[in-house]
This record gives sequence, structure tokens and C-alpha cells, in this order.
Amino acid sequence: MIDMDDPLDFEREDQLLKVPSINKKRKKVIGLDDLLNDHLIEQNKLKEQQSKKAKARKDNHEDDDECGNEAMLSKIVEKCEKQMNELGGEEEISHWGVPAFGDQKAFPHLGFSELESCNLLQSFMNNKLNAVVELASEKGDMFLEGLLINGWLPKLVFFGNHVEKSVASWAFNTMLYSTKEELQTCACDFWCAILSSTKEDGQLTVKIDWFPNYKDLRRALDIYGFLFNFSSSAETMETDSSRGPPQSISAWVRFVTACFLIRSQKAIFSAAEAEEMVEIFICLFLDRQLQGLWMLLNDCMQAAVNFFTDQEWSSSCENIAKFIACRVSKDLNCIQAVECISEVSSRCKQLRSAVAYESLLPCFDGVISGEEIFRSLTAINLKDKSCDLFKMYIYLVLLENWILSNPVYDNDPVLYEMFCLYLKNCSCLISSTDLRFYASKIRNRAAYLLHFFIQT
Amino acid sequence: MENPGTSNMRLKGGAFEENILAIFDASETKDSQESRDDRVAFLSAVRASSIVSDYGTPPTSKMCKGVFHILRTGKSLELIMVSYQLLIEINKRFPRVFFPKEDKSKPGSYPSSELVVVEEAWSPIVVSVDNASTFNQATGKQSGDPFDPSSFYCLIDELAEMLSKTKSQASDVKLLQNMLVFQYLVTAFEGDFFPHKATMDWNIERKSLLNVFLGSRKTNYKALMKNCLTVFCQLSQLKNELDEYIVCEEIAESSLSKNCLNSLSIALVEVGKNTCTSMEKFMVMIMELDLSRNKADLAGHTTRADGFRIPLVEIILDELTYNEDMVPQFLQIFTEPKWKLEIVVQYLWKYIPKPSVRTRRANVSTEDETFSAALKCFSNKATTKSTIKKIDSDIVQFLLAHGFQAQLSLALSEGHSEDKIACHEEERLSALVDICQSVISAFDCLRNTDEHIEILSVGKEALFTAATIISMKS
Repeated sequence: MIDMDDPLDFEREDQLLKVPSINKKRKKVIGLDDLLNDHLIEQNKLKEQQSKKAKARKDNHEDDDECGNEAMLSKIVEKCEKQMNELGGEEEISHWGVPAFGDQKAFPHLGFSELESCNLLQSFMNNKLNAVVELASEKGDMFLEGLLINGWLPKLVFFGNHVEKSVASWAFNTMLYSTKEELQTCACDFWCAILSSTKEDGQLTVKIDWFPNYKDLRRALDIYGFLFNFSSSAETMETDSSRGPPQSISAWVRFVTACFLIRSQKAIFSAAEAEEMVEIFICLFLDRQLQGLWMLLNDCMQAAVNFFTDQEWSSSCENIAKFIACRVSKDLNCIQAVECISEVSSRCKQLRSAVAYESLLPCFDGVISGEEIFRSLTAINLKDKSCDLFKMYIYLVLLENWILSNPVYDNDPVLYEMFCLYLKNCSCLISSTDLRFYASKIRNRAAYLLHFFIQT
Repeated sequence: MENPGTSNMRLKGGAFEENILAIFDASETKDSQESRDDRVAFLSAVRASSIVSDYGTPPTSKMCKGVFHILRTGKSLELIMVSYQLLIEINKRFPRVFFPKEDKSKPGSYPSSELVVVEEAWSPIVVSVDNASTFNQATGKQSGDPFDPSSFYCLIDELAEMLSKTKSQASDVKLLQNMLVFQYLVTAFEGDFFPHKATMDWNIERKSLLNVFLGSRKTNYKALMKNCLTVFCQLSQLKNELDEYIVCEEIAESSLSKNCLNSLSIALVEVGKNTCTSMEKFMVMIMELDLSRNKADLAGHTTRADGFRIPLVEIILDELTYNEDMVPQFLQIFTEPKWKLEIVVQYLWKYIPKPSVRTRRANVSTEDETFSAALKCFSNKATTKSTIKKIDSDIVQFLLAHGFQAQLSLALSEGHSEDKIACHEEERLSALVDICQSVISAFDCLRNTDEHIEILSVGKEALFTAATIISMKS
């Protein structure tokens, strides 16, 4: 199978023929080292090319002519390099990504101390079959692990319609703190199964004697090393540290999702706690290490926003947005924080819009309304060389999400007009030959938005 | 994106597609970082135009192809995850096969006349032989192209290969990519198969993608299924092997940072689990297809054009018989109770001596070859003895325990779904207690027949469960 990312043979050759100015444009997002490397490679290539030519034309060409050519070429290359460095030096490549986890703490001991009170195991001890099974008090936890992994525990619980406290809390701790992935998964499946099974009248099928609360879940995150004072502004990406979430974070996410879904049967979180949870999810979305869990996190976010009642939602949505806006720095991270909220339901859209709006507000001094944001934005001269286009790009994406994600603005022709006007500015005032970093991105994005979402 | 002033909005078909595709094309020619950005932009444009808006239009074939291409070639975790998610959402939002009046909450059968198949919609799976093969042989396959039976075979083969040497693959996104591609293909098969099946009409069902696909001469069906089974069992080991890899010293030499490795291993474990579930769904789907076909056959609805395919259950049984080590592992990870029970029962009955001289014929035998009948045979010392001469007694324990568990699952799902009429409920209860008692006596008999037998932990757990349920219910 052909790898589409690799250049084809002829494309590689093409690079030799490329005009320097195009090269400048292409490479400007690359770091200095890359530039230097590329430069060296190209210089070598040029030399090779020349020596080939030289061989071909050896007979009828004087050597000093060749030397002159070479000198001229290397001069041009030097000049290009200088220009590239100037351009490249202005900006560094930026990625989104904030580590949400620091050092893990010691996991709590997973003993099953409450075996004496565990009715499920105790009642079997006197059974004559115990001669075969050989269940003993001191091996109770091992036996329970077997019941869990081999799938017996859910059957027992569903036939008895009851989970006693000792088993429930043991399964909870196993889910979060076991070092065996298999146990984590089985315990999580077990909890999710008993939480999601309901009778016709909407009540839980299984009587559960013990539920974890918000504190228990928060404590788990703390042990995993979650940085509750999460902030993206001061932190830099540490590329080579062993810190990071343990695998059981996925069980944690799945469990929390199940908790959000059963508010009518059992409210495990208060509205304020649920707000905090949503904030935590957004932080998790910002950690590049958790990209593999995006499907899970999306489901969880979905369940979380639907947890709130209609009355709670409007204020909760605002609180979450404000929290995120003041914690996440105004760079690509704040775009990621907005875009990680999927747009599949109207509440998610609303939240997305709110986060974008709250992120925009503090960017302009003394601005308190949407219209003022537009006024401040239009006052910025995009043509001005000193204008920070990276910032403008961030503003544009935030604006787009604020206005277009919220159906409320359908009915606000003033804001809508201002948005269109601003998009036109962006696409017209920045020329296609503008080589500034992010210039083409702004231009393209604005043009795209104008084209697709607004009748021209 | 919710559009402000809906009435204002006009998505101009052709121009629209071209513009989105332009972003995609641009991403193909640029260098890594910018190409990545463009690909992200392409994916969000497709999403915005199709999924997000309430008035979204299904993405065109070229757009789908582009997204699929990114899933298969993307170099970063971000691109792979986003493209996979988008494909799944597109599938959900714009099904290729559906019933217009379907009530999602009530699965049931629908008249075949109501089945809608959107032929022009893009599908990641293609069966038509003509255009695909000639094109492919000449130019090699493009990564955005749909899978045909032979490339599907290669995918499974590659997965099996990669999983057998996780260590060298752990730092590579290719394994992740292949697993997600497989999951997506299974979703596509499901989206096509279940509506076809809901018609309860073999004439319709035989046209389902899955049936045509498996019947294709371009692939070795039996080898494909064996590979699937291998992958299924390998997947459950993935996590352990990854752990070994992460702690081992080689990491220092790895070009990837630990951060990057951690993110990949979290993703691999998560995706591996889901792939295992997908593989089970895939196999169950094929067994359901076999069952429908068998029914149609008995009713005389099949024709010669239907060809012949060995039922998957038989292939699995063969594999498990020749490869006894696989039995415990397979039974532990395969959870679907109906087919698990079927496999256990057929496995047991292969070795239980037939009580009479009655010859075994396909349509008679199934009636009394049930799990409870099998349990009865284990209450008899003579039959037990001759059975454990043929199968290892450990394997017998696994089969009995897992068969019992599958039976319990079925009893539970019946109890939940059906309206509980009092007398039925009592009948059910006594049947349940009977099964529990038979399990206990079967294990008793095993111990009496062979004094040296050691009851495995899964057997002890089964006994514990049986005894506990009896004490709960009586």
C-alpha cells in the first residue's frame, strides 16, 4: 500500500526546482533547527546538481565560470537562509496541550477488611460445598476477585437484587486502585451494570447499600496526580517526564458517566459538584496524553451537561465557562478548550458558545458586552505590521464559536451583522501575499466562514 | 455549526464540496505541521457541514473518502481519533440502510418493502468485483478506498501479525490505526446487516453486505475466521504485553518521549478493549447470519446461488478442539450468552457418548442436545467417565462453568424483558434452581469419578454461585 504522506519520486525532485520565495512561505512554521537542516540539505543537493551538470558539460566549459555560478548560488542561499531565520524567528511552533497530571501518589491498600460483615461470602462458609470450594475468611478478597473477573459477581447481584456495602465499596476501590487492568475493567463493568439497570418504574433494579460520593471520586483524581490548581498559563510542556495519569483513569471516566445518567434514581453529585466535574473534563481534554480516551470523554461530557435541570443549567453553564476562561491561557489551548466540547446537543453548543464568549471578554480591557468586543476588534488594524496576527487568529476562532454555536444569536441581527462585517474585514484586508505568520490562516478561515455560513 | 438565520443559509452543493476538498488536497502537498493543521481543518469542515447543523447534508463520497484516508494514514493520535469519531458519527447520522418508520426503542421486525438502501452513499466496504480489482492491480490501492474482501483479509492478517509482536509495535500508531479501521468496518457491517435481518426474509437478507462479502471468492473464508479468532484471543493479552514493554529498558532508546508513549499506551489499551468487543460482535453477526440461512434452508428458500459456507460455530469448535489451550481464554472473553451457550453445548455433545444407537441426523439431534441434557449426563458415573477420557477434565470444568454462566445470563435477560406473570415466574424459578442443582451434582460426579481431579477456581466459583442462588431462591 502506498503511504500517502511520503512524497512521490518526482515530488522529491521538484523540491530542487522550487523558487526560494515559495520555500520561505512553506517553511515559516518550522523551527530554526529544521530550517538549518533543510538549508544544509538543499545546499548539498544544489552542489550535487552542479557537479552533475559540470560533468555533463566538462568539455566545453571553463572552470572559473562554474566557480562563479557556485558562488552566486551560495550567496542566494545564504540570503534566503537569513530571511527565513528572520521570519521563522518571530514565532515558535505552538501546540495545544497542558499536562493535567503531576506525580501520582501512593495508591491506597486494597484489603478487604470487611469480610466478616460480608453476607455473600459468610453465608456460604457453613455450606457443605465449602469442603470443595475451600473458601476461608483470609482469602475472601482473592475469591471475590475471581468472582468478578470470571463474571459471576454481576449474576449473583442481579439474582439477589442487592449489593451489600462491603462488596460495593470493595468493587469501587478495586476499579480505581487495582494495578491489574483486567480487574479495573471488570469492576467498572460491574458498577456500570448495576447503575444502569432500571425497572419499569424507573427505579434501580438492584438495591445498592453504598454509593461513593463526590469526595471519593475527587480523592481518586488526587491520588492519580491530577493538578486541581490546573492552569495552562505558567506551565510548559514537559516532554520527558514519567508523570501522567494511570490507566485506571478510563475506568474513572466511565464510572462518572454512569453516575451522571442516574440522577433521577440517585443523585450522586450536587449541581455545584457536577459543574466542577465538567471543568475537570475540559482539563482532561487539554492533556495530550488522554487523546486516546476522547470517545469516552465525549460521552461523559454529554451525560454531564444533561445532568443539570433546566433551572440549574443557565447559571451552571456560565460558571463553567468563566472558570475555564480564567484558567486557560489565550493561545491554542483556549481554542482546544472550546472545540473539545462536541456540538451534538443544544446544551453542549450552548456551553461551547459560553466558553468562547467568556474567553473573549478578558482579552479587551473594560469590555463588558458582545457589541463592545466587535468595536474593539474592528479598531485593530490588520494591515499594521505590529498587529499580532496569532492573537487575531485566536479571536477569530473564539468569535466563530461564540456566535455560530449558539442558536440564541439567530435572533440578534445586530451581532450577526457585526460578525459578517468583521469576517469581510479579515478576508479583504489581509492580502493573499501577506507572508506574516497566521495571515493566511485568518484569511482562509474568514473566507470559508463567509462562504459557507453567510449568504453573500 | 448552528447557522444564524437559517433561512439565509444556502449550502451550494458543488462549490461547497469543492471548497472542503480543496482544504484536503492542500493538506496532501504540504509538510508535516501545516499538513496536520489542514487535515484538522478539513475534518472540522466536514463535521460542520454534515453533523453539527440540524440541516446538515450527508457528506459526499469524496469527503468520506478523505476522512477515511486520514484515519488510515494520519500520523498523529489526534488526527486518528478525530477522523474515527467523525466516521462513526456520520454512520449514525446518515445510515446507508434503514427503515424510515423505525422505532429505535423497540427492536422488532419490519416488512421488507419498507427497507431503504441508499445505494449512492459511500461505504467503507465494497464487494463488486469488476471495477475494484482491475483498478487495484494496476495502481495499488489508495488509502481512502473502501475495503474489498481481500484487503479485509489482509487487515486481519496484519492485525494478527502485529499483535503477536506487540513489543516492536507499541511505539507505532499503525496498530492503533488498524484496530480503529476494523472497528469502523464492523460498525458499517452492523449498520447494513441488522436492518436486513429485521425483515426476516432470506431473499432480502442474502443481499446484506456481510453475506455477499463472506461469500466472495476473493477471500479464504475459513482462514479469515481462524485469523479473527486468533486476533480475538490476542487482544485480551494486549494490556499485559504493553505493560512489559513500558517497564523494559528499551524505552531509553525509543525515539518517542515517555509522554508520547504513555498517551499511546493509554489509547492502545482502550482501543484494544473496544476492538475485542467489535470482534465479538462481528463473529456473533456471522453466526446470526448462519442461523437465518439455516432456517431459510430448512424452509426451502435457499437456491444454488447461495453457495455453501461452513457455519462459524463449527470453525470455532474445530479451532477450540485442536487448540485446547485456547478454550479457557476464549470462554472468558466471549460474553454473548446465546452463542456462548451454543458453542459450549456443541463442544460437550461432541464427546458425550450418545445414550442410544439412534443415528445422529442434523434436524433431529438439536432437540435434546441442550445444556441441561448435557448436565444430566454428568450425573451418571459411566458417561462421565467415558467423557473425561476424551476431554481433559479441566476443559470439562471450564465448559460446565461457562455454560452455566451463559444460562444464568439468559435467565436474567428473560426475567427482565418479559412481563412477569406469576406462574411463569414460578416455573422460571424452579427451572433455575434445577440448573443450579444439576451443576452441583455434575461437579460432584466429576469428583467421584476421578479422585485426583482438582477443582479449578472457575469451578469453585460456579459451585459457589449455584449454591448461593439456590439459597436465595428457595
